[in-house]
Amino acid sequence: MSLLAPLALLGLLGLALPLVAHLLGRERPQKIRFAAVRFVRPREPVVTQRRELRDWPLLLIRLLLLAIFVLVLARPVVGSEAAVAVLAEPHDAIILLDASASMELRVDGRSDRERAAEQLDTLLDALPPGSRVGLAISDPRAPSVTLRELSDGAPQVRAALDGWMRSEDHGPRPGAWSLSEALPRAAALLSDAGTDGQDRPRVIYAIGDPTERGLGSLPELAAGAVTVVPVPTRGQPGAEPPAPPEHVGLRELEWEPAPELDPRAVRIRALIHRYGPGSGEGEGEGDEQLEVAAALEIDKREVARTRVTLEPNGDAAAEFTHTLDGASEGARARVRLLERDDDPLLVDDRRHLWLTATDAVEVLVINGDPSETRANDEIFFLSTALGSGELAEGISLRGLTLDQLEDRLSGKQGDDPLAEVDVLVLANVRALSAELAPRVNARVAEGMGLWITVGDRVSAKEYNARFAEVLPLLMREAVYAGTAPGRTEARSEGVAPVQLSHPIFEGSTADADGDIDLGATRTRRMFLLEPDPRRGADIAAAFTSGAPALVTREYEQGRVALLTTTIDRDWGDLPLRPGFVPLATRTLSWLAGARGHGRGSVVAVGARKTLDRAATYSVTTPSGASVPITPPREGEPAIFEATDFPGHYRATARDSEVERFVVEFDAREADTSAVGLARAQLGDESSGESGTVTIYEPRWRELALILLLLLGVESGARLWFTRRSSGG
Amino acid sequence: MAVDPIERLIPASLRAALARRELLVRRPVAGVRHGVHRSLRPGIGRDFRDYRPYAPGDDPRRLDWRAAARSQRLVVRQTESEEELDLVLVVDGSAAMDYGERGSSAHKWSRAGTVAAALTTLALRQGDRVGFAVGRAGELQTAALEPAARRDRLRALAEIWTTPAAGDCEWEALLDAVAPRLRRRALVVVLSDFLDPGGRGPGLAEDGAPELDRSADESLLRGLTLLRSGGHDVALVQILHRDELEFPWDQQRVIELEDPRGRRPTIEGPGASLREGYLDRLDAHLNWLKRSCERGGLLLAQVVTDEDPAAQVLDLLGRLAGAPTDASMPTGAGRGGAGHEGDAR
Repeated sequence: MSLLAPLALLGLLGLALPLVAHLLGRERPQKIRFAAVRFVRPREPVVTQRRELRDWPLLLIRLLLLAIFVLVLARPVVGSEAAVAVLAEPHDAIILLDASASMELRVDGRSDRERAAEQLDTLLDALPPGSRVGLAISDPRAPSVTLRELSDGAPQVRAALDGWMRSEDHGPRPGAWSLSEALPRAAALLSDAGTDGQDRPRVIYAIGDPTERGLGSLPELAAGAVTVVPVPTRGQPGAEPPAPPEHVGLRELEWEPAPELDPRAVRIRALIHRYGPGSGEGEGEGDEQLEVAAALEIDKREVARTRVTLEPNGDAAAEFTHTLDGASEGARARVRLLERDDDPLLVDDRRHLWLTATDAVEVLVINGDPSETRANDEIFFLSTALGSGELAEGISLRGLTLDQLEDRLSGKQGDDPLAEVDVLVLANVRALSAELAPRVNARVAEGMGLWITVGDRVSAKEYNARFAEVLPLLMREAVYAGTAPGRTEARSEGVAPVQLSHPIFEGSTADADGDIDLGATRTRRMFLLEPDPRRGADIAAAFTSGAPALVTREYEQGRVALLTTTIDRDWGDLPLRPGFVPLATRTLSWLAGARGHGRGSVVAVGARKTLDRAATYSVTTPSGASVPITPPREGEPAIFEATDFPGHYRATARDSEVERFVVEFDAREADTSAVGLARAQLGDESSGESGTVTIYEPRWRELALILLLLLGVESGARLWFTRRSSGG
Repeated sequence: MAVDPIERLIPASLRAALARRELLVRRPVAGVRHGVHRSLRPGIGRDFRDYRPYAPGDDPRRLDWRAAARSQRLVVRQTESEEELDLVLVVDGSAAMDYGERGSSAHKWSRAGTVAAALTTLALRQGDRVGFAVGRAGELQTAALEPAARRDRLRALAEIWTTPAAGDCEWEALLDAVAPRLRRRALVVVLSDFLDPGGRGPGLAEDGAPELDRSADESLLRGLTLLRSGGHDVALVQILHRDELEFPWDQQRVIELEDPRGRRPTIEGPGASLREGYLDRLDAHLNWLKRSCERGGLLLAQVVTDEDPAAQVLDLLGRLAGAPTDASMPTGAGRGGAGHEGDAR
């Protein structure tokens, strides 16, 4: 126990006040020199001339009251378990608070976040006068306080932190920047404020947990003009970090169809990890195996349960199989750990998934020119491209001849062949019969993707007649390179750099641009197209001559792509180029995307989810709330930002297109194993100007409570004494 | 400019009233019963000296009816004094007399001075000798004790009153000093409040204590009676303040009563409760004093300081001359007067 303001103890001299008041504060009798005093009989016991203390219990209470008041002013503290160096000279301080999910870890009944709030409080108290202070929180959504004078800034920082901690919808969430990601924000606060004409040291006090993504993510200390001082919520910098409590969490959750069991069966695999106990601690206890129960819930109903055994710091996989019932909409699946209510970190005890039975993209390729020679077979090149692509797992490729398709379409054989098809590829196919072509068009309108590649068998006239509705642009004729009017004399043409702004290539980086480098392609022959701005076609790629190579169009709910050359080697060497693989897979997945994302996607908490289309969406959050989302600008995809809580999200566009995604918390946050921290070296040792101050835990609040209590007792006692003396 | 101390002692109204008065002494024989035993007062001659107009208060027996018939107005016959009178003033200068607003006429000490100065003026005017002694602050001031007819006696008396009363008055020593100086028949006028001439400790204990200890009072009266039996006339002029007669502090407020002489312990308490019984005890004391004086042949005149000094002095003169009057009895404490008459019957 020590005092922050020991000089305030001089106030104990004030203890004389009540004494004097009790001696002098009595009712001063009128003093009369009375000659006939011998005839007066004293009433009370003879009051002698000696001064006497009256109401001594009251006096005691008042003395105690004053003494405690002085003690409160002297600000008694006990040295905290966490000591931090605070620069002794006035400086510019930004307090950077870790808001990541791992701060939820509860140790000794209190979460690290509460600890951090207390440390921030004491840190504010410990800052030397004349400093400036500001606040940054490692969550893009959290408030910040710009640098300002301590007297003004400290209350603002406290208020901002308090408001953020208590906020229901803008408070802490299980996903935020790591401390290093938030460091620029704190540094910006420091530099924005300017130097204020004084050359003060600039310090960032980072309050966080001693984990890999917390304080461990901070760069080397004392780098550059700004000093970063780690203030761990547990342990001390420079010392062996305290072992975090053991906890169990779900590290991964994934699923795959299990067609061998049932066409609608899925296999769900959860990876459960036991974090801790710490390596060096309690060997006998730590070696014990831990049995954990996990349950699978579909649409909030528990459907399966399993138990796994975990070694210390070990993984265990829990596998569930489930057969989806009729709803092809997508089922909300959740795996959670059971009987872990006392788990120090609860946020990683559950993870979410969207399940759909028909998740794989069904691609039906109609080979118009089957060939014994692989070099001339469209299916060969396409399947090869897809097989090596990253989307291969999710794409199942089937091939049919046109006759087979026509047979099935006309109902002579089996069910509707297009029912389950996500993308239909017409590869060098003569146009379907006039009766069957509308069936294809209707499927496209319902959301099927259609990719038309040309070749010798394609007749522009027939295609224009049968597929005019869906074609991006009407076809004109097939020409040889170099023969077009006013074109180059070259006998072949390459493909110009693709339009990266096209949805097919969205998300591609410059590297991807290199991947889709088709410049060396030599195409000898291609179809020319009729320009028609009313059709709303997009050119994804063009030949060097300027003729469109890949043209797309969105038709109703479906998507159509038209490649004006062959995907076998008939008209050029396009399929041989490395860029063909990403081109084919991206085109196919874009076309399949029209169906909506069955698997959905996983978005980190706090991250932005870019929805597929430039339309107005209504997003249903896990809590059931409906959030309307409009695109920020005309023609740009809508962006959903309120990814605050883990769970299932469902975005519905106005035209009833559904997009599903899961918001999940970053499993790396669950790793609470402690990392050692270097003690901050503050200031120049030779200057002797700076020192270190231990952060103390204040004890004056308890005293203030006692003070209030005593005040009440004093009032009561005074009332009692008044009653008694007047009653007597 | 400082007021002449003599002027200050004798207000103008009193001076006017004294204009044609004389100090006559007739020995009271049995208390206030007047006219039965008219004594031959030595010092007042029988020889005719002069006439003067009658003033109310003159003894009607001294009216010269024949002269009155001649001059159509009432005249009093003045006679030549046969023998000089020694007027000896014995003054209580204790702090008990320092009560009342200083400088005002209601101040006990200044009223005592007024009475003393009036008597001295009269005595000196008719050629009598005057001496006085003061017991003040534990000391005796006896420089002017030897009776003399000099005019400076008045000034010396006034000098005494320029300093306030203080301390205690040692009555025994005072009377011991006075008694041997009285060579022939003298008028001894004792000025005091006679409330607490001596004694220490609490006057009254809280409970169960014996009644007032009167040993000091009795000792004083015994001394005075001795003087009386030595052939001197002794008059006790009791100077009281209205507060002492009425004890006006009757609220709950706590007051602290301090003995000015410093002999009694201080008493503190709510005024109302302290007042309880006080008036009765004071009354009993005054009655006791009156009876004792009557028994000892001492003349007792009470002077309350808020009343007209001229009337009081004239009344005192009448009493000294043997006139029966109640004018000096306190009006506020009516019972005193009534008791006086009641005792007589």
